[in-house]
Parts: sequence; C-alpha cells; structure tokens
Amino acid sequence: MNILVFTKRVAATQEEELRITGEGQAVDLSKVPFKVNDWDNYCVEEAVRIVDKAGGSVTAISIGDAESDEVLRRAIAMGAKDGFLVETGEVLHDPFVRGELIRGFIDKEKVPFDIIFTGVQAEDDQFGAVGGVLGGIMGLPYASMVIGIDAVEKDHVVVRRELEGGLQEKVKVAIPCVLSIQSGINEPRYVSIMGIRKASKVERKVFKASEYEKGAPKIELTKWVYPPKKGGATMLDGELAEVCGQLLGILKEKGVYQ
Amino acid sequence: MSYALIVAEVRRGVFEERNLDSIGLGALLGTQAVLLVPDGAYEAGEKLVDAIVKVKAAEEVYLNPMNMGRMLETVFAARGKPDYILFTQSSSGMESAAYAAGLFGMPVITDVSGYDKEGGFFLKSYYSDKVFGQFKATGGPAILTVRSGSFREFAAEKPAAAAVDAMEGVSAVETRTFLEYVEEEKTDIDITKAEFLLSVGRGIGSQDEVAGYEELAGALKAVLSGSRPVIDKMWLPKARQVGTSGKTVKPKVYLAMGISGAFQHIAGMKDSDCIIAVNKDAGAPIFQYAHYGIVGDIHKVRDKIKELAKG
Amino acid sequence: MLEQAATRVLTCIQCGKCTGSCPESGRTPFNVRMLVRKKQFQAAVDEALPWYCTSCGACTIRCPRDVKPSEVIIELRSKLVEDGDIPVALQKALENTFVQKNPWGRSRNKRADWVEKIDFEVPHVSETQSKRLLFVCCIQAYDPRCMVIPVNVARLFHAGGLEFGILGEEEACCGNEIRRIGEAGLFEELEEENKAAFEEYGVKEIVALSPHCMNVLKKEYGDMGIKVVHYTELLAPLIEEGTIKLPGSFGKKVIYHDPCFLGKQNGIFDEPRSILRAVPGLDLLEFSRSREVSLCCEGGGGRMFFEVEATYQRNAEVRVLDAVDRGAEIIATACPFCVMTLEDPATEKGLAVKELSEILMEVL
Repeated sequence: MNILVFTKRVAATQEEELRITGEGQAVDLSKVPFKVNDWDNYCVEEAVRIVDKAGGSVTAISIGDAESDEVLRRAIAMGAKDGFLVETGEVLHDPFVRGELIRGFIDKEKVPFDIIFTGVQAEDDQFGAVGGVLGGIMGLPYASMVIGIDAVEKDHVVVRRELEGGLQEKVKVAIPCVLSIQSGINEPRYVSIMGIRKASKVERKVFKASEYEKGAPKIELTKWVYPPKKGGATMLDGELAEVCGQLLGILKEKGVYQ
Repeated sequence: MSYALIVAEVRRGVFEERNLDSIGLGALLGTQAVLLVPDGAYEAGEKLVDAIVKVKAAEEVYLNPMNMGRMLETVFAARGKPDYILFTQSSSGMESAAYAAGLFGMPVITDVSGYDKEGGFFLKSYYSDKVFGQFKATGGPAILTVRSGSFREFAAEKPAAAAVDAMEGVSAVETRTFLEYVEEEKTDIDITKAEFLLSVGRGIGSQDEVAGYEELAGALKAVLSGSRPVIDKMWLPKARQVGTSGKTVKPKVYLAMGISGAFQHIAGMKDSDCIIAVNKDAGAPIFQYAHYGIVGDIHKVRDKIKELAKG
Repeated sequence: MLEQAATRVLTCIQCGKCTGSCPESGRTPFNVRMLVRKKQFQAAVDEALPWYCTSCGACTIRCPRDVKPSEVIIELRSKLVEDGDIPVALQKALENTFVQKNPWGRSRNKRADWVEKIDFEVPHVSETQSKRLLFVCCIQAYDPRCMVIPVNVARLFHAGGLEFGILGEEEACCGNEIRRIGEAGLFEELEEENKAAFEEYGVKEIVALSPHCMNVLKKEYGDMGIKVVHYTELLAPLIEEGTIKLPGSFGKKVIYHDPCFLGKQNGIFDEPRSILRAVPGLDLLEFSRSREVSLCCEGGGGRMFFEVEATYQRNAEVRVLDAVDRGAEIIATACPFCVMTLEDPATEKGLAVKELSEILMEVL
C-alpha cells in the first residue's frame, strides 16, 4: 500500500493581526510564525497507521519554498518513509495550478501510489479544492471530508464522510483514489524536537517545480482587502422576547438550528 | 444564452436552506438562473429561479461528484455551457465543485462571500476571515461555492414560476458508491465534533439548574459543555470540559451562558465560528471575544429561548 | 541523563519518604515510590500515572538516598513524549510553545503588550546601564488576570529607583514546565534562544516574576555568570530600608501561601513575609503546613495545561478551606500559578487571592 501525503507549511495566523501592504498588494507575513497545516498532520498520522497495519509505505510531498523541508522532516518523524520537496518560491493560489503541478510531478517522476491523501483544506487559503481538482484532472475516484477510514482492501477503501449536523455517510471508493482527510479523523501522535532532529538524517529529495507542466492560472488574485469593520461583540438589545428571538435568528442563519 | 447553473444541495429529502445563498448570488450575477435538482418531492425554490432541471437520479447518485460530472455534461449538451456553476459551501458542494473543476478544466473559487459587479470580482476569505482576496476567473465557465448566509437576501421571487425540464439520469459510476448513512452516536459525547455547543459556567449557580440547560440544549439540538468550575464541581462530566486543560473546540456556534471568559476557557473556544455570550455582567471578559452578546439574567434567557423554540 | 537516573534508582531503599511527602498520594493513583520501584526493574508503568506529578520537589528534597524521584518522573515522561503518546492538551501546550514560544499559543508579537498599561517607558534591557533583565514569564505576559503582576512590579521598581529592562518579544518561554513535561529537545531550544539573547545584550542580572522561571534560569540553564533572583528578593530590602514607602493601610487578615518553586525548592521564605509584615495594618497569618512543608497547589508539572483522569478534592480547595478555618480574608502568594489555581475555590468560599504586588499597590 503506497500512500502519498501532501503536506503544506502554512503561516500560523490565528493569533496575529495581519497587515496588508501597499495598495492591497500583499499580506505582511514577515513576523508571523509558520507551522505544518493542521489537516496535513492528520493525513500523515492516518497514512502511517494504515501502512503499519496493511504494510507499504508513506511518502510525504510538499510544494513550497525551501523552508517547507520542516514539514517533511515532521512527516518522517511520524513514520513516513520518504519526503519529497517540489520547490517553488511562488505562492500558488490557484488550486488548479497546484493540481496540475502535482499531476505533472507524479507522472514525470513516476511516483507509485495507491491512495493520495490531501488535507480537506489549508489553514492559510482555506480553498479546500486541491484534492477534488486533482481527482478530476487525473480521473481518479474521489471522496472528501473523510472522517474515518473503516476498511482498506487491495482494490477499494470504505470511508465515512463528514456531513452537516453530526451526520456521516459511508462510501466505498475504488483504489487508486484521492481522499481529502478531515481533521479529527484520529489523534495525531506528538512529534518531539528530538524526533524531528532524528528525522533529519533521512534524505529529503528536492525537485524544482519549474520542471513540471503546470498550466496557466485560471483565477487571478487582484487585491487584498480587510474585512468590513467589526468592533467587539454586537450586543443584542431590547426586551427579553425580542432579544431571544434575535438569538434564534442568528442560530438559524448559522445553519445549526432550523 | 448566458445562464448560471445552480446545483442544489438536497440531503435526505431536504432542500437545504443554504441553496438560497447560491440562488441569491445567481440573481446578483444577472444571468438566467437555472436550478439543478434531483427529482423528488420537496419545496425547491420554484419561484426563485428561471428554470428548473429535475434530473431523474436518486439523491445518493446525484451527490456523488463523479456522477455529478456526468450530469453536468448532459446539461452542457442540452443548454450549452453556463457562465457560472454555483454549489453550496458544504460537504457535498465543496466536493463536487472541486471535482468538476478538475474534470472540465474550469476555474474554481470557493467560499465566496462577496461579489462586486462593477469590478467583476469575488471575495474569498483568507486566514480565517482576517483578510479577503479579490478574485477574478480568467475565462470560461467559473465554478463557485457560496458561503452560507452571504447572499440569501438577494434571492427574490419572480413573477412566474420556473419552467421545469426533466432530465434523464446518468449511468452511475462504480468506482464510488454510497453504502449508508451513519447517525451521530448519542452515548460517547465528543464535544470537539459538535457543530453547536451550549456551554455553561459558574454563573448557572447550582447543580439544580443544570437540568434546565440540558433541556435547552435538547430543544436547540446543541451539545452541552461547560467551563472548568462546572466540571470541578462535577455538575458535568469531564468529557464536557472546554478549556486549556479540557478540550479545544471550534464549533459553528458556541453559546456561552454564565461563563465569564477566563483566559483558560477562551483558549479552548476562541476559534469557534460564531460565539454568543450571555452573562449578567456587562464587563465580563467573554464579551471581548464574542461575536454577539446579551447582558441579562441567564436563567430568564434560557427559559425564554425554550419557550420560543417550542412555539 | 538516562544513565544517571538508572544508577540513582538503584540506590533507592523504598523507604517511602517520597510518597509520604507527595501532594498527590492518597488522593490520586499516583505513587512515586512505586514508580521508582518499577524503574528499578524496568517494569511497565501505566502511562497515565507519570502525569500526576506537580513537580513540587518535595520527594527529591526528602529522599535520604538522593534518588531524585522528580527526575525519575521526568525520565518516564520523556519516554512517553518520544513515543508521541501524551495527553492531547499537553501536545497542544508543547506545540504552541514550539511555534509561539509560550504554551498558550498567544502571538509572540504581543508578548510585551502589558507595557502599554504603564505610564513610564520600560526600556529594552540593552538600553539600560545595569543590564538588569526583568524576565516576565508567559502567563504574566498574556493572561489578563496575571498581567497586573508585571505592571505592578514595574511600578514598584520604578518607585524604588531600581533600573530594569525587558526583552519584549525576544523573550521565549523559560522552559521550566517544558522540561518537567519531558520534552528535553524543546527545552534545549528555548534555553538556547534565551541564553543567546542574554549574551547578545550583555545581561548581568535576571529578576524573575515567576518562581518557576527563576528556578530554571538559576539552576538549569547552566552557569551563565548571571545573577538570578526572584523579584521579592530585591523588593524586600527596598521596603525594609524605606526606599519604597507604604503610606496606605491594609487592615486585613492575610495568610501567606509558600509557592513550591519559591519556598521549598529555592529557600525563599522570609522575603515575602518581610514584605507582608511591612504593610501597615496587615495581620499576617500562617498555615500549619507552611514554609518547607507548604501544600502544593498542583499548578506545576504541566498540570496547568491538562486535566488528570482521577476526580478528587483538589489541594487548592483543601488549602482554601484551611485558610477559612484560620480566619483569613485574603490568601497572599508570590507565584502566578498559585494565584490561578487557588483563585477559583477561594472565590467560591468568599476569599480573595492576591499576589504580593497587588497588596503592595494598594498601600503604595
């Protein structure tokens, strides 16, 4: 069982105040720390658990700058056999371009695989589309929001997809396939600093993204803007019944109450 | 004829309310709005769009992204390619939208929460809504997934009901098949998986009041959780604790009642999509982190919501 | 380190003084003597057990054979950490510390935000003559309840004419709890980073606000050639000499709780008491378990970051009930973790918990 796991190094912006530079040209990430994309961490853990049981190996692949080596070392520390860096200094916003690049890389380097894991989304752009786009481009069966992998056989997997409101659906997907993994599928092991240091001894091969066909972008990011001003909590005022009615309205809008 | 194809999300016979946002954006886009639905008996926005295509397919077939690809092909063959294909920002919407984009080589922009007609761009959130990117599709039909709650106010009734077209079903793929639905387990509560948490704090006063909040949670279909003092006193089991030393949660809605907002608690829930705080103290720190706030007697608010929810 | 612990456990005679002084024994399944025994035989240990330890240090202080049971616990934890098998909440705290240099995961860029509450300039330590560094501490930099402490101490030092500077965003978590959680690699990284900053700016003296920070900087960062003190050690003489005057009055019954890392582990008992006695009107009470035998509040050893499995009456509550029995109105202490763990049960019983600087600010 060969599982390819795509893992991304992302800016940890949860606690930061972000500044847009110039006339909306860029977001200043110079003082922001970076970390592994949470979803990809779940992917690596899940893949390692599967090959531990079914045999095979996990290959971690990252598309990004040289610093992305960090997430490959982490994947290796968790149990991946290999780490490949497809190096590019460019930020690729378009999931299409990423998907094409991945397909180009896999084809040209003849990377064997049975299953490709991507995270449901990346914490930075939250596009949530690379897995699906890749599946479509490669003509492979696809399932996203995978919250549980119940069975792994030679020619298919049985997975549970997370739907809304706590509901799940069980689907059977033929192998080879692409799966987008949802956070919470497992409890990833902790990776210690010493573990990451040990992983540095395993070679991470570097490839240049420019060597692979990735096609022209289909979407264009023209400008960055701040969200509309929101200062503190919006206080709901009025009579008790009115206020409670408003609250129910908010719950309905958020889709958690009918 | 230019049109926007709105792929409806229908799950277990329910035409999801989120579809209204797709319909709303469709209206803003200014083209003809054509709604694609699986054939079935439900209210399906007949007066909100120009045409409805009812495809003869079982829901599970329709919701399969590979089959959706085949259905879209049939639509294109019959009506030509649309300018836009809109999906809901949801588990199935995201899946099918991305897959279709790959299949047909179309641009895709997800989680669209704004549209500027003049500028011709869509707003897409980055870094959890801290900034937004203005995106344009560079050509051909563009696939969009539409953020829930963003455009439904633009869904307007048309003078006449939509023309309804029946469409033949497609042969379903065998490489992915639906097996069954799995309901949420009611026994082992994992609050980290809940979409909607009703969280109570020391402010509820006594163990006797817990039952009242349990009822409220039931009425709202929320999962009950609590802050550390409530767990320490054993008014709720440990599995329900939200906070640094309990669980970190990111539900769609976090309704905090009687929780002051101690740092350790905030750390466990600050990334929730929507935080609503109810507290009798207007100065409670939680209001700094909440999106909505109510200053008042929490028991009274609890009882009133229960009353309204039942009505 | 592995070898050291191995030879140390072999000297253990199973006398049980460790378990006898442990704040966790009897109320939780934790039994440190038994864990040392298991280590002697390299036997398997229930992986939930090592996490009960609060790092109070009582066992190591009392051991007649210098087995250092606290280090044995750290050893056991290290193995679990390397296997990746640790409570999720602890994982979060460690990962946060790795990314943002504080276990709460708050933005590193906001570490000096507390300075905004001060009306005089707090310089970077490099800009001071004395090169006296005020080491702020993670919880005091970020937690709204504890942020008053650095603000107060800064004002007190200013009133006493004591020059100091800070590192601001360059300060990283001291690593005291990190090392005790068993993440040796992460501790090394924090230590390296902080030491590099100390060296770069020619720091000569470090004044720590938290006894935890003081402990690790003084005893576990190696010989830096830098004097490390707790702020009470500088403040007490300033008050005694009258350099800082306390004109106000504080007519309350105040009971002092000795923090483990300040008291039993570092022998600082008198300075906080001297400070409290200097407050006009203050009636200073003592717990029977005070000074070396002070009851651990259970805030250390990583316990601030996760919940253990057992449900039992917390030491903090026992301590508060004791304070009530003795007629105290306020529990005073000199450690932010003690403040946090004592405050909840105290508030319920109608008692207030005050860090020393908070009392001083009321009479300054």
